[in-house]
Amino acid sequence: MADSTPVDVPAAPATATHSVEQPLDLVRLSLDENVYVKLRGDRELRGKLHAFDQHLNMVLGDVEENITNVELHPETKEEVVTTATRRVDMLFVRGDGVILWYKPIGSSGATVV
Amino acid sequence: MASQLLPLELIDKCIGSKIWVIMRSDREFVGTLSGFDDYVNMVLENVTEFEQTPEGSRKNHLEQILLNGNNICMLVPGGEGPQ
Amino acid sequence: MADVATPKKTPTDFLNVILGQSVVVKLNSGIVYKGVLACLDGYMNIALEQTEEYANGQLKNKYGDAFIRGNNVLYISATE
Repeated sequence: MADSTPVDVPAAPATATHSVEQPLDLVRLSLDENVYVKLRGDRELRGKLHAFDQHLNMVLGDVEENITNVELHPETKEEVVTTATRRVDMLFVRGDGVILWYKPIGSSGATVV
Repeated sequence: MASQLLPLELIDKCIGSKIWVIMRSDREFVGTLSGFDDYVNMVLENVTEFEQTPEGSRKNHLEQILLNGNNICMLVPGGEGPQ
Repeated sequence: MADVATPKKTPTDFLNVILGQSVVVKLNSGIVYKGVLACLDGYMNIALEQTEEYANGQLKNKYGDAFIRGNNVLYISATE
């Protein structure tokens, strides 16, 4: 986790990005690093990116899955937000469920704001 | 027979003028059409976005956008948009 | 109908202009991402830098680099 190879797109003004010419290059640069994935259905994954393809099908290792569920309380009509977390050793993600894929700011192990 | 106008030819005639775009969801756009491609992805200028929410209609102004053609439902040439 | 006041500008022309600029990307779900457009491809897959995520107009998250899968994109807007 701590072996973060620095990504070559820091806070520098981003007119020309060196090795990122296709959006998927960004993903390629993060192979074997910790990534966050936002999926349809209010699911978020965090894990090590082992492999991906052009559909953004992915294999993640050591995954933590967070599911957010918002329900209206039947009587008070208030929003009840529940989150469930589980861990999976190895996971295949089908690309069509992916909304957003991102790296945390800074090193690969850092948490997001 | 020669008067047959292909759908995309109609849209091509709209370039430079106002167009009303109705999405498959409760969302509509009105703006000046700058151009489009085979997928009907559209470049619009001076855009107003209309969104129907339970609380009513919400408006949003945008200078210039590339609108994904994927979720477009209907196009109305010269449309003035929802009332 | 079309007086040629505005020069014709195809999606490709537009993208060439806004590459490297600050943009607003809105998804079909209504979530908005603001950031610098690093690159994109024919599927409208987008790579953003200095990304900010907004839901209902409120800042929810900041990401260094973000990849947005193109099928979720409603529009890309050049910021004034």
